[in-house]
Amino acid sequence: MSDQSPPPLRVANLSKSYRLPGGGAFEAVHDVSFEVTAKQCFGLLGPNGAGKSTTIQCICGFYPPTTGNVFISGIDVHTKPKQARQGLGVCNQEDTLDSDFNVTNQLIRHAAYFYIDRHTARDRAQKLLERFGLTDKATQMIESLSGGLRRRLQVARALISEPKVLVLDEPTTGLDPDARRELWEVLTEAREKGTAILLSTHYMDEAERLCDRIAIIYKGRILDIDSPERLIKKHIARDEVEEEVRPGVLWKRKPNLEDVYLKLTGSRLGVEGL
Amino acid sequence: MSDWLWGVSRVWLRYYDVFTKSVVFYVVTTFVQPVLYLLAFGVGVGALVGILNANGTPVTYRSFVFSGVIGQTALFSGFFEGAYGAFVRMYYQRVFQAIAITPITLSEVLWGELLWDATKAAVAAEGVALIGVLTGDFSPWSLLTLVPVCFFGSFLFAGMGLMSAAYARDIDQLSYPQYLLVMPMFLFCGVFYPIEALPQALQVVAWVFPLTAVNSLVRTLTLGLPFQWWAVPILFAWLTLLVVLSRRAMFRRLVK
Repeated sequence: MSDQSPPPLRVANLSKSYRLPGGGAFEAVHDVSFEVTAKQCFGLLGPNGAGKSTTIQCICGFYPPTTGNVFISGIDVHTKPKQARQGLGVCNQEDTLDSDFNVTNQLIRHAAYFYIDRHTARDRAQKLLERFGLTDKATQMIESLSGGLRRRLQVARALISEPKVLVLDEPTTGLDPDARRELWEVLTEAREKGTAILLSTHYMDEAERLCDRIAIIYKGRILDIDSPERLIKKHIARDEVEEEVRPGVLWKRKPNLEDVYLKLTGSRLGVEGL
Repeated sequence: MSDWLWGVSRVWLRYYDVFTKSVVFYVVTTFVQPVLYLLAFGVGVGALVGILNANGTPVTYRSFVFSGVIGQTALFSGFFEGAYGAFVRMYYQRVFQAIAITPITLSEVLWGELLWDATKAAVAAEGVALIGVLTGDFSPWSLLTLVPVCFFGSFLFAGMGLMSAAYARDIDQLSYPQYLLVMPMFLFCGVFYPIEALPQALQVVAWVFPLTAVNSLVRTLTLGLPFQWWAVPILFAWLTLLVVLSRRAMFRRLVK
């Protein structure tokens, strides 16, 4: 036994199969294991349908895993969801803001689900709205907010319980470049405060920029886990790659995460030197 | 148990908070319809029919309809909140999905949903009963004795609604149970006339549907009609069945 406290998030040999209509099963996630430590940003990088969202639904304790376990601060999220999820903040891929409440009450209501009293919740909500630049929207209804602001509010809501782990499923999909950058800043700030972050994305630049560690996930399996730099070094031996971007136009550039991803998944041709 | 109660009450309170923002909307959408029925049938048709024989007991047609509208209100209010209300919360607002990844579980969310729908519909049914007390058709005591029937009846119809919401692929499909289940019950389960007026075979069919049992119990409590004991097991069998099946269907829909 070690006297170290358990990591904020540990996923151990997680597999998840869906029953198909008409019999049979589809394995969406196969034997996925990783850990996220405090102040770390961990990225699940993969294309649509790779199993990212299924993994996240299992981490939230919403889908039961077929085999394997998810531990939040050492507590199994499936056998003790109430205790485990006390330390979990989630920003779903879809907009799950409660449109029956205005911006502030949204946060206060959500805090109530975490045993947080109204007074503390009001305090925290105020601070979060300030931090997220939403103070002037405090009494507005959700419908009046832009997509970027809604997403920011959804992240703010996930932080109202001051979670040890913040989980975000494709947080910047559909946002314009400005809104993406604003959200990145907010995430970097949350992380500096000690929150462990797990985020799924199919944007290479986002993964490379935000994440200390990345799991490349494809067809439900993790192909490799490492820091972005080491992934590039490990899988692309060269300092330069060539790509024909238009007929007759060759680009030479430094290898990036996308090249690693393409090489590991073998899903695209045309880049020389992989 | 206390954890469960805490979780369910948080969900219930969420609904209550939304509800208090729009009480006028609730009053209009809940009471206008029964009041119109009371006026059109109770007063209008009542003037033509006068006294009728219900289950062997003479009662005024007005009192008969007033008591029938209690069960009808529980049906409409419970079903519509459980069907359309829950569908919107589950499908468009994703309220279930947002709450069920906090320390509150999906099971608690669904109990909260059903209990809220039941509460809201039961209060509406009691509201109709109160009108009957004010017009002198029922004794004030009946408001108290009606509480369990109104609550469990509403609970049952909320379960019917939630089950419809769980199976509906889109919101339009909720019209199927509405027209195939709710409307026939409304017309054939003794809201507007004693089911004894129906042919024997149809009477048996009417007793299969739960509104008949609710109406029978309501009339025993408000008008003193003979107690039909089998109404109790019918009500609780439907209640158990619909609550269990609606929860299971919703779990199947949301949790993969």
